[in-house]
Amino acid sequence: MLKRFRSLFRVLTRRREFEDGMTEELSFHIEQYTDDLVRSGMSREEAARVTRRELGSPINIKADCRQAFGIHLLDELRRQLSYAIRLLRKSPGFTATALLTIAVCFGANLTIFAVIDSVLLRPLPFPEPGRLTTIFNTYPKAGVERDGSSLTNYYERRGNVPAFTSLAIYRYGTEIVGEPGSTERDQTMRVSPDFFSTLGLGPVIGRSFTEEETTSETDHVAILSDTFWRQRYNADSNVIGKQIRVNSVPRTVIGVLPPAFRFLSSDAQLFLPLASRPEDRTPSQRHAGGNVIQMIARLQPGATLAQAQSEIDAQNASLEADDPQAKMIADAGFRSLVVPLHADHVVAIRLTLLLLQAGAMALLLIGAVNLVNLLLVRASGRVKELAVRQALGAGRGYVVSEVVVETTLLTLVGGLLGLVIGAGGIHLLGMLGVDRLPLGSRIAFDGRLALVALLAAIIMGIVFAVPIAWFNLRRHLGNALQSESRSGTSGRATQFLRHSFIVSQIALAFMLLAGAGLLGLSLLRAMAVSPGFQSDHVLTGHILLPWADYPDGPSRLAFAEKLMDKVGPLPGVLYAGVVNNVPFSGKTGKSAATVLGHILRPSESARGHYSYGVGGDYFHAMGFSLRSGRFLTADDSAGSTRVCVVDEDFARYYWPNASAIGGRLWDGSEVGKDNEAFTVVGVVGGVKQAGLTEDYAQGAIYYPYVFRIEDSFFVAVHTTLPPESLGLALQRVVRQIDPDIPVNDLRSMETRIADSLVARRSPALLAGLFSGIALLLTAIGTYGVLSYAVAQRRREIGLRMALGAQPGHIRGQFLYLFLRLLAGGVLLGVIGAWLTSQAMQAVLFHVPPFNLAILTSALCIIALVSLAACLLPSSRAARISPMDALAEE
Amino acid sequence: MAKTAELLPGTLDMLILKAVSLKPLHGYGVLLRIRQISRDALEIPQGSLYPALYRLEHHDLIAAEWGQSENNRRAKYYTLTAAGRRRLRDETAGWNRLASAIAVALSTTSEEV
Repeated sequence: MLKRFRSLFRVLTRRREFEDGMTEELSFHIEQYTDDLVRSGMSREEAARVTRRELGSPINIKADCRQAFGIHLLDELRRQLSYAIRLLRKSPGFTATALLTIAVCFGANLTIFAVIDSVLLRPLPFPEPGRLTTIFNTYPKAGVERDGSSLTNYYERRGNVPAFTSLAIYRYGTEIVGEPGSTERDQTMRVSPDFFSTLGLGPVIGRSFTEEETTSETDHVAILSDTFWRQRYNADSNVIGKQIRVNSVPRTVIGVLPPAFRFLSSDAQLFLPLASRPEDRTPSQRHAGGNVIQMIARLQPGATLAQAQSEIDAQNASLEADDPQAKMIADAGFRSLVVPLHADHVVAIRLTLLLLQAGAMALLLIGAVNLVNLLLVRASGRVKELAVRQALGAGRGYVVSEVVVETTLLTLVGGLLGLVIGAGGIHLLGMLGVDRLPLGSRIAFDGRLALVALLAAIIMGIVFAVPIAWFNLRRHLGNALQSESRSGTSGRATQFLRHSFIVSQIALAFMLLAGAGLLGLSLLRAMAVSPGFQSDHVLTGHILLPWADYPDGPSRLAFAEKLMDKVGPLPGVLYAGVVNNVPFSGKTGKSAATVLGHILRPSESARGHYSYGVGGDYFHAMGFSLRSGRFLTADDSAGSTRVCVVDEDFARYYWPNASAIGGRLWDGSEVGKDNEAFTVVGVVGGVKQAGLTEDYAQGAIYYPYVFRIEDSFFVAVHTTLPPESLGLALQRVVRQIDPDIPVNDLRSMETRIADSLVARRSPALLAGLFSGIALLLTAIGTYGVLSYAVAQRRREIGLRMALGAQPGHIRGQFLYLFLRLLAGGVLLGVIGAWLTSQAMQAVLFHVPPFNLAILTSALCIIALVSLAACLLPSSRAARISPMDALAEE
Repeated sequence: MAKTAELLPGTLDMLILKAVSLKPLHGYGVLLRIRQISRDALEIPQGSLYPALYRLEHHDLIAAEWGQSENNRRAKYYTLTAAGRRRLRDETAGWNRLASAIAVALSTTSEEV
């Protein structure tokens, strides 16, 4: 088979040579034969005559020879192609509409498919990625859905779960890298020694981390990403052994990763050992995860998730047996879940993406229906021509292949334009911030996508050809030839087909509109949610203090205080404060608190709360509202007074019938010493911590900064100026205190909130765009079909008007036909919208899936648009002059 | 001239392969060679000769190359390929089986039934 293609290809590339050779060979034969005949005594004329008779026509022989090579098919194709091009050029309006329809629908699908492909379909860049899993602790009854894993989990599980070949932990971070004065903050990952072997992809130069490098005394090593190695070390192959300063501490480079190494969505440039102390690995720390450390594991070949899950469950059960807190842990609904790594990483956007692809498909379907309708109209205009050609001997195969060539030509050219639109669409998605979605940075327009597009275009071409070919073949030659006009031959079947096309178009457009409405309303409702603080004029930034220079609480506190002193007097600054974590930072972590006098009810478990240390004028800077009592002040921190502020959700939960002021609580999951209790001095309004759509208020506690000093903190500044304009000043101030320290993630609170909605805004925008296009296509389709119906019945209308029918009557007749189609479409559409809204439930926010207002508006929009599209042809029908209509033909 | 027989369908290919297997030949040479080895007993339809040659070449059973003819004209010479040689062997064996089976069948007398 392959050989034959090769031989055909050889001939096609040297077609001239093939033809000349054939001619030469035949004339050689003729000459030789004639000469031989003459030699045997024949006259030259007689010999030439005999040769011609015995050989036959050289033209026929050549045709047979071409056929032997399969070239005749390609010649045929070329002929049909040029015929199709000629036809398409003859009707530029139709061609332009068709190409544009295909291009837009195709482009929309390609854009979404590019996202689906890179986020959901393309496997992670590791060997046998299907065997990679992640394991995390969950305490659903304590309101902690996801708590990562603890160091203890890792050391207890490592090598003890037979379903896994290996198991590793990692944590994301940012570190200050470089020599004093030229430092930069880089994304990093701290990983356990088996991290790379679990993934199956490790350093290509040098080595991985060892077990000995997991203590803070011995962890002075680093592995570089390929990008980092190329940019900072100029791809120096002797980089191993060089020193690199990370957080002011020199580390030795021991390895360089391959270019393809990319762990999930992380942009880590530097990999460091995840060091810990022996006391961090003890059973008492088993539940101290805090969603900071994450665990991955590779399944044994052939092992299943269920198997791994049951082994983990069994191990947890036996370990918890002698845990003093076992009851509390069990009450919290504790489990460690094993889930596929890739699926888990993209779980939040999977449904949205699939819904968008379904929307794009619906769009494609509408476009396809339009196109088939247009093609059918065209085909019925060519009935006679086709009948004549069939009568002259064009075979069925020929008729079919002619249609296929034409439709495939259309879809291929439209598909090419669609590629351009798709590339633009992907660019647009980039501007919408889609690259911030999980695995979003992989989204690219590549050869793989182009190949899919090409295949889809060919398949579409063939699918489009089916109804047209059916239409062309089913008519009887005689009828077509006899009937005097193109209107004579519209069968009931084709009319039914056309009408059901319109009905399905309206139904699909209705579904798209309703879906877009639900997404849009969800977005509006989410945007209308108050974050609980004043988000305008607040600038926030993240600061990380290097361990080496700021090893303990006092030095870190001193930095924060110095910062407050210097930021306060900056021009335009009203208030400034520091906090461990600002809302909408993308980081969340909850910890337990124990309230004096609160006794757990039987079904109740200890709860995790957002817990913060706040310094400076944080509450004023963020515009928190005070419900009762007072805010924390700088004096509370300076005086180390054991006071705290809680939010109203926390207060309502623990003191439902009384004032929270004066209440006492401990930071931790146990009742502590009396002198370690914090007294509640104020209650502030509830604040959305993780996102506007966060529905369940978990409660928050704010301690004076001195009690919760961490190496990483945020600074918040309330200013009278546009917040972004203060960024440089803030950076300058920080550099004045310590030139090594950059301010990272500088964003106004308004930007943070807007960014948090990206997963809602882009889908709503896209769905809106899709339904807009769908409406346009439906309008075109309705217009086309009704215009055709009018043109077809021109004579009938003319006759009826000649017999006294009123124009209004004629118009009414077409409006009635349209209303019937609309009613059918909307009925189907409502059913479809109900089904899709069920599927959409998980992505909706405070919108019931069956929203009457949305359905009604969708109905109004679609009715108005399609009515407009129908008015033109029906009033044209009403204006038909009986004389002209009857005089035609 | 001796009495000639019509070619059975499918046998032209076999004869071409046989002719070419003896010595590389141009198209006209193939015609002459078949006539010669069949002792003029077979009538070759000249119009079918070239399509058959092209088909065999396309199927890689014979290979073609331009060369010089006896009278110094440019001519296309055909040679047997390895696949062609295999095919010729198979077809010859098949033909012999068929021919002897038919011969046996046709020589049956009424006493042997």
